[in-house]
Amino acid sequence: MRAWLKFSPDIVNKAIISDAMKKYNINFNILKADITPKGGKMLIEIDGEQVEEFIEYIEKRGIYVDPVKKVLKKDEEKCVDCGACVSLCPVKAICIKEDWSVGIDNQLCIGCGFCTGSCPMKAITIME
Amino acid sequence: MKTIREINQKIKNGNAVVLTAAEMTEYVRENGSKAAAEEIDVVTTGTFGAMCSSGAFLNFGHSDPPIKMNRTFLNNVEAYSGIAAVDAYIGATQLNKNPQIGMDYGGAHLIEDLIKGKEVELIVEAYGTDCYPRKEIETIVDMDKLNQATMVNPRNCYQNYAVATNSTDETLYTYMGTLLPNFGNLSYSSAGQLSPLLNDPYFETIGLGTRIFLCGGEGYVLGEGTQHSTEGERRNGVPVGSAGTLMLMGDMKKMSSDFVRGATMQKYGPTLYVGAGIPIPILNEGIAKRTGISDEDIICNVYDYGVPRRSRPVIKETNYKELKTGKIEINGMEIKTSPLSSYRKAEEVANELKNWINNGKFFLTEPVNRIPSKGYTVKPLEIKKPSILIKDIESKQVIIAHPTEEISDVARKLVQNNINHLPVVDDEGKLMGIVTSWDIANAIAKGKAKLKDVMTKKVIIAREDEPVDVIARRIDKYEISGLPIIDKDNKVKGMITAEDISRLIGETAKNNNEVSL
Repeated sequence: MRAWLKFSPDIVNKAIISDAMKKYNINFNILKADITPKGGKMLIEIDGEQVEEFIEYIEKRGIYVDPVKKVLKKDEEKCVDCGACVSLCPVKAICIKEDWSVGIDNQLCIGCGFCTGSCPMKAITIME
Repeated sequence: MKTIREINQKIKNGNAVVLTAAEMTEYVRENGSKAAAEEIDVVTTGTFGAMCSSGAFLNFGHSDPPIKMNRTFLNNVEAYSGIAAVDAYIGATQLNKNPQIGMDYGGAHLIEDLIKGKEVELIVEAYGTDCYPRKEIETIVDMDKLNQATMVNPRNCYQNYAVATNSTDETLYTYMGTLLPNFGNLSYSSAGQLSPLLNDPYFETIGLGTRIFLCGGEGYVLGEGTQHSTEGERRNGVPVGSAGTLMLMGDMKKMSSDFVRGATMQKYGPTLYVGAGIPIPILNEGIAKRTGISDEDIICNVYDYGVPRRSRPVIKETNYKELKTGKIEINGMEIKTSPLSSYRKAEEVANELKNWINNGKFFLTEPVNRIPSKGYTVKPLEIKKPSILIKDIESKQVIIAHPTEEISDVARKLVQNNINHLPVVDDEGKLMGIVTSWDIANAIAKGKAKLKDVMTKKVIIAREDEPVDVIARRIDKYEISGLPIIDKDNKVKGMITAEDISRLIGETAKNNNEVSL
C-alpha cells in the first residue's frame, strides 16, 4: 500500500519506523520525503504480511498515516493530451494510450512533481 | 483529374468521399495512389500545437468622450495599440504586467478567455488630442462587446520542425518544453502524417484564400507565413526541417476553446495552442500520392538545445513513426520522447473538418494566389558588432589555488589580490573547484583548515568560445557573481565576474554614444 506519513516536530528525531520495520518485517520504500526539525511528511510504499500491525505501531507513536489511492489528479477539462509530461516522468507512470490520450498510472507515480510544473495547461496537480 | 468546382458539387450533393490524412495514408498503402485519386475527393489534415506567432486584432468601439488608445491592457496583458484610435493587437506570448503573475497569464490566456465569453478588464492610457480628449479608461469588456475580434497569426502550421534534446548537465526550460540533463528526454512538435503542409509539400492546393478550419471556426490562409522557407533538404518529397509556414486568419467570435488554448511553457513564457485543419482537394494522382505520406517517411533531425546558438548541432536523424513509439536511441541510451502537440486533438480537428464537409457545411476554395514553393530562404539577423567572445576579453593573470593549501594562505591570496573568487586547480592546471571569500569566512567559522574541504566542486564555468551574452545570462540564472574561464582541456584560463560584464556593457554603450555623436 501507499501512504503519506506525517510527523510532528517532537518525534522527528526518533527511530520509530526502523524499529517497526524490524519488528514486523516490512518492505519499506520511500518515494518522497520532506522532513525538517519542524516536522514533515513522507510518501511511502509498504508491503509485508504484518502491514496492519506496522501501521498500528507507528500510529500509536505519533506518526499520522494517510493512505493514498491517488497521487496525481489530471483535470480532464484542461488537459489537451499534448504529452509534454510523458518523457519527464522518471518512473514511466505517464504514457500515451492507444487513442492518443495521456494516461497516468497512480500506482507507479511517486509524486515527484516534474509533470506538474512542466504541464503547459497546468492540468496536473499533486494530491496532498 | 477533378476540379474544385466538381468536388464542391459532390459536397453539395452529399456524395463527396472525404478521408482524414491518417485514413488516406492507409488507403493509399492498400489501394495505391491511382485508385485513391479516382475514389477520394478531399483529405482533411489537422494539427493542434503550440504556435507562439499568433494573436488577434480587437476593435473596442468608441467611448464618449472618445479616446485614442496609447497603451492598452487587457487583464493586465498589454496589447499593441499603435494603430488607429480603438484598435489593438494582442500577441499570444505577451507577459502579464504583474510580475507575480508574469508567464502564468499572458496574451494566449487572454485570447482563450475572450473566446470562452469571459469578461476581461480593459485599462487604457492616452495622451489626449482635440478629437480624442479622454486620457484614461477602466472598464470591463467581453467578446460580445467587441466590434471585431480577428485572429491573425503571422506564422502557423510549420511544415516540419526540429526535435529537441539536451546534452548538458543542467535542466533547460525552452519553447520545446522542459529538457532534462544528459539526454534525459526529447521533445517534438509536429502532427506528422496529419500535419497540413506535410500533405501538400509543394503548395499545389493550399494558397492565399484557402478556406480552413481554425480553432473551431472557419478561417482563411492569408499567404505564406513569416520565416517561410522552401530551399531546405527534402526527403521522400517533404522537408526534413521547419521549411514552409502559413499566415492564418479567422473570426474569433466563431471559435471554440475546445480547439484553442492558452498555455505556458515552464520558465519560457505563454504560447497559444492552435487547432488548424486544412482540406486538400484530391485533384490528381500526384496530390493523392503526396497525401498518402506516412509517419515513417517524414524524416526530422534531433538537435542539441544545450547549445544556445542559432546553429545547434544535429545529434541524429529520426522519423515520426519512431518518435511516436515513445522512445528513441541516442548514443546507446534509450531516450523517452514527448510530443508537444496533441495528436489526439489533431485527429479531432481533421475529423471535425471531415464532418463539416460530409454534412455539406463547408466548401473548398480555389486559391487566389499560390504560396511560393521555391526561392525562399530565411535570412539570419546579422549584428553589426560581432558578439564578443569570452576569449576576446582582456583578462588579468589568473590567480589560482591548490586543494592542499591552508585556509589562511588562501585568505591572504584573496586579500592581496583584492578578489572574491579563486579557482582551485590540480597540478596540470585543470579545474577542480572554486572558493569565494564567503567560503573562507565560513571555513574559519567552522574551524576547517584545508581548502579541499570547503571548495565548491560543482562549478558553473564559462568556455573561451562562448559569447559574453550567454555568460551574462548564466550569471543571472544561477545568481552567482563570477565563474572560471576554461579551455577545451578544462584548464583554467581566467575568471570572469559580473563586474567585468557590466564594465564591458558600459564601455560598449559609451562607444556607441561616441559614434552617434
